[in-house]
Amino acid sequence: MVLEADRLGKRYGSTWALRDCSLHLPTGRIAALVGPNGAGKSTLLHLAVGLLKPDAGTVRVFGRSPYGDTEGLADIGFVAQDTPLYRDFTASELVVAGGKLNKRWNAALARTRLAQLGIPPDKPVGKLSGGQRAQVALALALAKQPRLLLLDEPVASLDPLARREFLQSLMGSVAESGTTVLLSSHLLADLERVCDYLIVLNASQVQLTGTVDDLVAGHRQLVGPRHDGGAVGGVAAVIRASHTDRQSTLLVRTDGPVTDPAWTVREVSLEDVVLAYLADGTTKTSHSEWGVAA
Amino acid sequence: MIWLTWRQHRKQAFYTLLGFAALAAVLVPIGLAMRNTFSDLGLVDCVSQLARADVAQTTRETCDAGFRRFGNQYGSLNLVAVLLITLPALVGLFWGAPLVAREVEQGTHRFVWTQGVGRNRWALVKFGLVGAAVVILAAVYGLGMSWWVDPLNQAAHEGRLGMIVFDLQGIAPIGYTLFAVALGIFAGTVWKRMLPAMGITLAGFIGVRAAVEILARPYYQAARTKTFPIEGDGPPEVSRGDWILTQGVRNPDGTMIAEDTRIQCPPGGKGPDGRVCGAELGVEPGAYNWQLYQPADRFWLFQGIETGIFVALAVLLLYLAVRRIRRIA
Repeated sequence: MVLEADRLGKRYGSTWALRDCSLHLPTGRIAALVGPNGAGKSTLLHLAVGLLKPDAGTVRVFGRSPYGDTEGLADIGFVAQDTPLYRDFTASELVVAGGKLNKRWNAALARTRLAQLGIPPDKPVGKLSGGQRAQVALALALAKQPRLLLLDEPVASLDPLARREFLQSLMGSVAESGTTVLLSSHLLADLERVCDYLIVLNASQVQLTGTVDDLVAGHRQLVGPRHDGGAVGGVAAVIRASHTDRQSTLLVRTDGPVTDPAWTVREVSLEDVVLAYLADGTTKTSHSEWGVAA
Repeated sequence: MIWLTWRQHRKQAFYTLLGFAALAAVLVPIGLAMRNTFSDLGLVDCVSQLARADVAQTTRETCDAGFRRFGNQYGSLNLVAVLLITLPALVGLFWGAPLVAREVEQGTHRFVWTQGVGRNRWALVKFGLVGAAVVILAAVYGLGMSWWVDPLNQAAHEGRLGMIVFDLQGIAPIGYTLFAVALGIFAGTVWKRMLPAMGITLAGFIGVRAAVEILARPYYQAARTKTFPIEGDGPPEVSRGDWILTQGVRNPDGTMIAEDTRIQCPPGGKGPDGRVCGAELGVEPGAYNWQLYQPADRFWLFQGIETGIFVALAVLLLYLAVRRIRRIA
């Protein structure tokens, strides 16, 4: 197990940014951490890389508690949101800097990658395009030859073409090394094609976690006559229900085949599943705060 | 880590040295001219003459005239000296405040603190190197200022212990500069943005400096008192180089009858229209001039205490900054 969190929580003031977060990330997975903005994705990643100290529960990366653990940092590659780099450094200076800051450092790997991507070595990275800068940040993270690579919204600021290139080059390099990857995004569509494991975070809690195949296989859409809330054979839980006068559409988690002929059973896409979980319990009304009637 | 620190701050270091060199280019010629005038007026000799107890009346008068001439020519430089005491604050603003605040503002702390060295080591090396550079800079500044301001000190009656001149020279600037930088670093860990951190640094620096100067420095050692008769010949005796905290005229029973003043009447003690000397103040027979002062030879002791206070504050602030850095994500 690469990453384990047990009832992990982090609080800013009186607000919990992450609460009761329990999850496991098995070795070798490319995991997508999906959730809307403010769901606690960055907080979880910062806890995993040891930037933050948990306020509740534990997080372990390769069996070690990452906060204050300098030794453990060698095994974790981290690219923070907006790929922050020293903007007045050139890409080649950053590669040198990485070498000074890390015991294990494959400068040749970084240089080869950056050469292949056509990144100019002697231009300050602040003058590169967003996509190029993200590639530099990724190359620096990979040069550590980490066993776990954490990427916080790596493609959020990139245009669609740069997104595809970034994810392609990421997949190309981790496929060879067997690195476990956890990358976050507020858009599943960005990551759907590359990930094989999914963690859905919403309102500071884990809503869903599992391999993509299991999640898709374990959920179905049922369309049938208006549903009164009674049990349906083969359905473990109704995740989301929408009703018209005569008809109900349910997204359900199944624990067996749904044989009731009243229901039309359809397969669902990963996105359908994620949206159903995100829609569940998201409406945090703030009518009173705005002083309007609910 | 050392390489990174150098690469990050080399431009800043270059401009700091450039500014320093420009300042020296202005101040050194002035200092040399001032010293020439000082010796041309025979004031070097005067200083040693006046230190003796048995100074001839004429020597004293010529010397005072010389000091006055020197004062008239260079007295306005005291204003420059006031400007120069802001230098430690500037170092704090531009070296201290951005050290952490800029990293956090640009998010690069998440890059550098997640590399193999960890943030404790990062803080240690950065603070250490910047601190060492600042100490060297401040030492050169303090000693240079001691040389530069010396003639002005000699000409002024207050000597080196007076406000502003004390702050300008010796080793105290090392304490001030380290404190300013540490305060800047600490402010950066609390406010995490450069401009607020700089503002807080400036306000905090001025506040603490003023508080120490006014509330603490006069009491580093028990002040001494000295009394002078109110009747006497010739120019009143002055204590060159002493730092006079308060003075006034007291009656024999010790009550202060006139603060912040000194009086002297010729022997016989008759005022202009035959009144007793100082009668308008309510002087009783046996009244005397009184002063509370710190003697001039306590200069280095006071410098040491002052520097110690600010270095201790700097160490405390850096310790707090390291603790806060552990909580920044």
